[in-house]
Amino acid sequence: MTDDASPGTGVPALQVVDVTLRFGGIRVLDGVSFEVAPRTVFGLVGPNGAGKTSLFNCISGHYHPGSGSILVDGVETRSTPAWRMARLGLARTFQHPALQLGETVLENVLLGAHSLLPGGPVSWSLRLPRTRTAERAARAEALELLERTGLRWAADTRAGELSHGLHKGVELCRALMSHPRLLLLDEPAAGLSHGEVDRFVETVATVRADLGLTIVVVEHHMGLISAITDRVMVLDHGAKLMEGTAAQAQVDPRVVEAYLGREVAEDEPA
Amino acid sequence: MAGALVRLRAARWSRPALALVVAVLLVLLPLVSSPYVNYQVTTMAVFAVALLGLNVVMGYAGQVSLGQSAFIGIGAYVAGYGTTHGWPLLLTFLLCCLLPGVVGMLVALAAARLRGLALAMVTIALPIVGTPVAKRLSDVTGGSQGLTVSWLDPPSWVALADDQWRYYVVVAIAAVVFLLTRNLVRGRVGRSFAIVRDNEAVALSMGISPYRTKVLAFTLASTIGGASGFLYLAVVQYTSPETLSFGTSINLVVAMVIGGSGSIAGAVLGAVYYVLVPVLAGQLDASRTALLSGAFLLLVLFVLPGGLVSLPRRVQQLLTRRRRRSATPSDDPGDRTGTPVLTSDGRTP
Ligand SMILES: Nc1ncnc2c1ncn2[C@@H]1O[C@H](COP(=O)(O)OP(=O)(O)O)[C@@H](O)[C@H]1O
Ligand SMILES: [Mg+2]
Repeated sequence: MTDDASPGTGVPALQVVDVTLRFGGIRVLDGVSFEVAPRTVFGLVGPNGAGKTSLFNCISGHYHPGSGSILVDGVETRSTPAWRMARLGLARTFQHPALQLGETVLENVLLGAHSLLPGGPVSWSLRLPRTRTAERAARAEALELLERTGLRWAADTRAGELSHGLHKGVELCRALMSHPRLLLLDEPAAGLSHGEVDRFVETVATVRADLGLTIVVVEHHMGLISAITDRVMVLDHGAKLMEGTAAQAQVDPRVVEAYLGREVAEDEPA
Repeated sequence: MAGALVRLRAARWSRPALALVVAVLLVLLPLVSSPYVNYQVTTMAVFAVALLGLNVVMGYAGQVSLGQSAFIGIGAYVAGYGTTHGWPLLLTFLLCCLLPGVVGMLVALAAARLRGLALAMVTIALPIVGTPVAKRLSDVTGGSQGLTVSWLDPPSWVALADDQWRYYVVVAIAAVVFLLTRNLVRGRVGRSFAIVRDNEAVALSMGISPYRTKVLAFTLASTIGGASGFLYLAVVQYTSPETLSFGTSINLVVAMVIGGSGSIAGAVLGAVYYVLVPVLAGQLDASRTALLSGAFLLLVLFVLPGGLVSLPRRVQQLLTRRRRRSATPSDDPGDRTGTPVLTSDGRTP
C-alpha cells in the first residue's frame, strides 16, 4: 500500500521512519512513518493541531525528534543542522508567510538563491566578476519565477504592500530559487481566493514537471489535495490515521470522524 | 502617469549625481576652508567609519553590540605603537584592522549563540575590561595619561598643510571602507544579515547559519572599528583609555540610531551628529551640553524614529498627506495606511 506510487529510482525522495516528537509531556508526533517516491506529490492532511507543521519542522531540521529517523534521498538527516538541509536539496514554505515586509518582492525571492550563489564576504565586497555574474543570473531567474507565478509586476513592490494571498506566491518563488529536489509546502492555499487556488494548482503542475520536484504539501483545501497529490497521509493527534489516495482518504470513516465531518464536507471537490 | 515616469527616471539619475556632487565637494572643501573646519570634517569621517562598523552588526545583522569603542581603542593603540616603532604605514593600517578583527571574532565565537540582553552584556565586557587593562599596560598605551603621537605629516612632495593632508588620507580611506561595505550589504551577504536579523527560522531554511552569520557580522564590525581607530589617531594625534570606554560605545549607539540604523547614509549622518552636536550645544550653553544633546536625541526619536536618514521620506509623507487632504475626499479610496494596497488582480486599488 505504500510503495511504487510512481516510477521511482528505488530510493524514496523522503523517508520518515517512526518519528516521535514531544514537547514537555505532550506527544506531538507519535511514531509517524511514511515514504514519498521521487517526483510525486504527497499530501499531508489532518485537523488543526494534528502535528503537520511539527512534522515539517522535523524534516527541515527546525525541530529535533526524540526518536526515529528521517532520510532525504536515502541520506540520514538526524545530525544535519537545519541550515545544511538546503544543500541536501530541501526547501520549504511556512504556514504563516515569513517575508521581509520592508524589502522588495524581488529581494525576498533572491534570498532563496543564497545556497547557490558563489563567494564569501571578500568577493562580494570587492564585487568580483563572478559574484556580479551570479547575482545578475539570479535576478533574471527570480524575475522568471515571478513571471511564472503571475507576480512579475510586483517585483519592485515592497512585500508589505502585498495581500496575504500574494505572500504565499512570493514564498513559493523564494523556495524554488534554491533549485530544490524536495519541496515542503505548509498550507500554500490558505486564505487564497478561488482564482488564486487555480493558479497555484497550475503552477505546481508545471513546476513539478519542469523541475522534476518531489513535493510534500499540507493543506485543508480538499479540492486542491485531490487535484495535485498522488498520495496522502492523514494525521490526527500526532499519529498516522491512514495513507492512500486523496479519494480514499475522503471516504475513509476514520478521517471523516477526525474532521468531525466539517472540513471534508465543506470542501468537496467539484 | 507621465509624471510618475519622469520621477522614476529622475530617481535613477539623482543618486549617482548626488554622489558625484558630494565627491567633488569633499575634494574641494579642505582647500577653501579653515584648519578648524577641516579637523571637524575629518573627525566626522573617522566616526562615520566607526558607526558604519556598528551598523553592520547592529543595523544590518540586528545584533546588539555595546563594545564598538573597544575596537576603536585597540585600533588606535596599535596605530600608536606602530608609529612610535617606525612600522611602515600600510602594515600599521592592516594590523589596526586585523587585531581588533581577531579580538571581535573570538568574542563572537563565544557569544554569538546568546541573544538579546545576554549578548549585550558580553559585548559590554570589552570596554569595561579594556579600560583598566589599557591603564595598566602603560608601556604600550601610556597609561591614564594617554598616548600622544606626531605622525602623518604631509610628505615633502605635496604642498598641503597638516590638516589638509590628514583630511585627504582619512577621507580616502573612509571612502574605500564605505564602498566595500556598501557592496557587501547589498548582495548575498547583506541578504543573509537581514534575514538573520528578521527571522532566524527562515534563515535556516535558506541554508544560512545564524551563528556563522553573526560571527561574521561581529568580525566585520570590529575590523571596521579598528580601521576607524587608526583614523582616529591620525586626526586627533592622541588616544587614551577614554577612547575605548563604555561611555564612548553608548554614544556611538545613540549616534547610529540618530543617523538611521541599517543605512549607509545613516552612518554618515550619525557621525555628523556625533561631532557637531556637542560643538553646537557647547556654543549655545557650555554648561548644558549634555542636556541639549539629550533633548536633541529625544526630538529626533519622536519626530524621526527611522533616524535623520528618513527625513526626506518623512517630509514627502507629510506633503502627500496634506495634498490628499486638500484634494476632494469624496471619491478618494481613503487613507489605506496599514492595509494592503495591492491585490492579486490589480496593481493599484
Ligand atoms: N514549539 C512548540 N512548543 C510546544 N508545543 C508545540 C510546539 N510546536 C507545536 N506544538 C504543539 O504541537 C501540536 C501540533 O501543532 P502543529 O504541528 O502546529 O499542528 P498542525 O500544523 O497540524 O495544525 C499543537 O498542540 C502545538 O501546540
Ligand atoms: Mg500547521
